[in-house]
Amino acid sequence: MRPVVLATLFFAAIVAADHLLAQSPAAGSPAQSERRESKGAAASAPVPRTPWGHPDLQGTWDYKTITPLERRAEYGDRQYLTDAEVKTLEDAAGKRMDLPPSDEQPNQAGTIHATYLTDPGRRVDDDRRTSLIVDPPDGRVPALVNAGGGRGGGRGGGGRGGGAARPGGRADSWTDRSLLERCITWGIPTASLPGLYNNNIQIVQSPDHVVIVHEMVHDARVIPLDGRPRVTGKGDTARNYLGESRGWFEGDTLVVETTNFGTKTNYRGANVNLKLTERYRRVNASRVELLLTVEDPTVWTKPWTVKLGMRPSEGDLIEYACHEGNYGLRNILEVARDEEKAAAGQK
Amino acid sequence: MRVILYCAALLVACAAPAMAHHSFAAEFDSKQPVVLKGTVTRMEWINPHSWIHLDVKNPDGTVSKWMIEGGTPNTLVRRGFTKDSLKEGTEITVEGFRAKNGALRANGADLILPDGRRLFIGSSGTGAPKDPGDGR
Repeated sequence: MRPVVLATLFFAAIVAADHLLAQSPAAGSPAQSERRESKGAAASAPVPRTPWGHPDLQGTWDYKTITPLERRAEYGDRQYLTDAEVKTLEDAAGKRMDLPPSDEQPNQAGTIHATYLTDPGRRVDDDRRTSLIVDPPDGRVPALVNAGGGRGGGRGGGGRGGGAARPGGRADSWTDRSLLERCITWGIPTASLPGLYNNNIQIVQSPDHVVIVHEMVHDARVIPLDGRPRVTGKGDTARNYLGESRGWFEGDTLVVETTNFGTKTNYRGANVNLKLTERYRRVNASRVELLLTVEDPTVWTKPWTVKLGMRPSEGDLIEYACHEGNYGLRNILEVARDEEKAAAGQK
Repeated sequence: MRVILYCAALLVACAAPAMAHHSFAAEFDSKQPVVLKGTVTRMEWINPHSWIHLDVKNPDGTVSKWMIEGGTPNTLVRRGFTKDSLKEGTEITVEGFRAKNGALRANGADLILPDGRRLFIGSSGTGAPKDPGDGR
């Protein structure tokens, strides 16, 4: 063994991206987006339909994008990127994915994956917006009802030991760890928002149901369209990790409303009062648009909405059977126990 | 054991661009970068993460058996990496970060073949596919 001093700052991809995002050239304009949406001849084509007449949303759809959920402060109230900004961001994203680590793109300390082992995309969203959040207009998650009250939990639900002094979160038991680390679920809306990988869903339709399969932890939601009452709404006894979804069509838009989340889930501090409303619309042959509204009046001061343009996936979904070999959970607990032994030995 | 520990003088541990499957900080130590040169004994092609098993020869002739955590199988496939890409007996160099408790495990950050090629890197001729066209 020999120690070597590295005189290099390690920057993770997010930092590089953030710095690029912080560059704020001239203002973009909504007109750019409108041109992008209208230039496809297919935009005016009839909506494809199922044999029973519903708009046909079926297929596997890819929603990865480098556009961040929230708008960075440097953009102010500007909703759209300029052409130059798009080029800069996409060139940087491609470089992160393709080039070996260097002084400019070193390995990522502090992250699980090297950049090129991930699949976060290389493109900004179709509209070239500065954030995926389209409402409120500032592109930011609204203020918390209880600002500073410590309700902002993990995005994946449960765990990671909020408030724990241990780096990486509390690990007294597997129950301290997140639902994703335990391979139970990525949860929604998290599984519907762009992440490091598995940014695909599959939509399957029948006359009275829609099934949405999330590649992340291969969750499937079977959504009735027939107006049946919710099962778990009575007595508060059987709430679900994925909530309970009911769907219907409004014109050519599939609306899916999900409530009845359980206490074990945690999306940014929201669980039992969380309500998600998804609106899926077939824009053309190669696009499904999703408008996702998130609300919980006990957590946020107002609802907020994300817009995603989903394109056909690279191929079929690939099964992500997370529990197959989840060594990570075992290793985290082993490390925690060893740290305790080491600490006890020092006393 | 040919393990080079790098002391990162100016190490910035950063949040991932989006949450990965599990916490890096709970399992690995960003202050223990390692470079391991060894022989692949097998690769576990499993969810949620792949694991490469590596025999690393120590200076005294003994062998240390390391486990290197890699990307998810889904992502590897989409980046052009298959079960044939890394065969048993291949000599590789892995750069990564060691487990916090000193176990012979590391989070793999980079993987270099004997001829210098780095796996998973599209621009170096490994055949990793580019992002699919989106009609723009």
